[in-house]
Amino acid sequence: MFPLTGLRLLLPALVPSWRFFDAVTASPRVDYVVLGPFEAGPDEADPAWQEFRPRSEVVTVATMLRRLLWNPQWNESLFLVSLSERLIHAATGETALHSQRELLLRVARDLHRRGLASPDAFLQIRLRLVGREGEHVDSAVVYLSAPCAMEALLTP
Amino acid sequence: MMLASALRLSDAMMALAFIQQSLEHLRPAVRLQERLLFAPRLILSLLLLADAAGWALPVLYTPVLYTPGLHAPVLLGALVVNHLAILPFFNGTYNGGADRMSLLILLCLTLAHILPEPAWRELAFGYLGMQLLLSYFMSGWVKVVNRDWRQGRALRDVFLFSAYPVGENIRRWASRPGLLTTMGWAVMGFELAFPLTVLSRPALVAGLVVAALFHGANACLFGLNRFFWIWICAYPSILWLQERILG
Repeated sequence: MFPLTGLRLLLPALVPSWRFFDAVTASPRVDYVVLGPFEAGPDEADPAWQEFRPRSEVVTVATMLRRLLWNPQWNESLFLVSLSERLIHAATGETALHSQRELLLRVARDLHRRGLASPDAFLQIRLRLVGREGEHVDSAVVYLSAPCAMEALLTP
Repeated sequence: MMLASALRLSDAMMALAFIQQSLEHLRPAVRLQERLLFAPRLILSLLLLADAAGWALPVLYTPVLYTPGLHAPVLLGALVVNHLAILPFFNGTYNGGADRMSLLILLCLTLAHILPEPAWRELAFGYLGMQLLLSYFMSGWVKVVNRDWRQGRALRDVFLFSAYPVGENIRRWASRPGLLTTMGWAVMGFELAFPLTVLSRPALVAGLVVAALFHGANACLFGLNRFFWIWICAYPSILWLQERILG
């Protein structure tokens, strides 16, 4: 409730810990699949998962400098990483619910704007933790959402 | 540097950083609820910038004998209230450490403007300078006590599989362990040595230039542009604090 929740979240900022990159652990990636209206049942077999916003092959120095001033999509992607970590390590049901909802809303909105998902389709996301096993990079699925109607995600 | 001028410079720099952040939340791709939270933040930041610069503010009462920074307490207080609505929307910070520094600067500047006693105001602004110093030292400390950082493994992992490298061409730096070990030790050495720079003015200025370059590199390689802009907003506080303590 305003302003108590905001105060609870604001006050820790007065005593920050500044523990940046103290340990480099497995990192989450968001994958998605868009299912047609008749494919959204629980027995959907082996859907074609795609990584959400995969990195560019090459980022030039000019792009890096431009992003110093304008980098909204990347910053949202970093927020998706935070949401994924919160969902994976969720201490409360409220946190898990918020993270799950925000992830679905943001992925759905982006796919719809880029014409990759129609409002009558269903969206499913999963989270993969990417880490190092010995000298190899490996990943494991740690979260799978239920298929959600795009229409409901586009009109919150 | 006098407290008043250091505060006004900090107000203006923070306002500019907030304008940049807010504009990123106001593009059409963003949900209406989010834009409605950041539109007031943009307006308040523009007003704060104008106030710090001494420009006339037609939307606010301005007396004949106007001094720059006159409206800062009201505008900063309004920004704090605005954040009380923004934080629950994201269930915390949106941009991690950059947002934590944004909030710390906002709270310290607000207190430095509204506290009744001059000594309390100095304490609030000095606290920001101290936290800036700690932000570098603590970051270095938590790394140097970690064996993976000392051996160069941790920075290699950042490039190898973390979410941060902005492109696959940057990710391929992971195949240069010698370079990354050197870079890791350079970062840890700088962060741990930063507190020593406050012992002299030229050393502190040089330290802040190196720190800004470090944030610039992070912005380019890892896309952390907001860290670059918001961290330099705290620089006037440490410059003022050093002068206040060492004279």
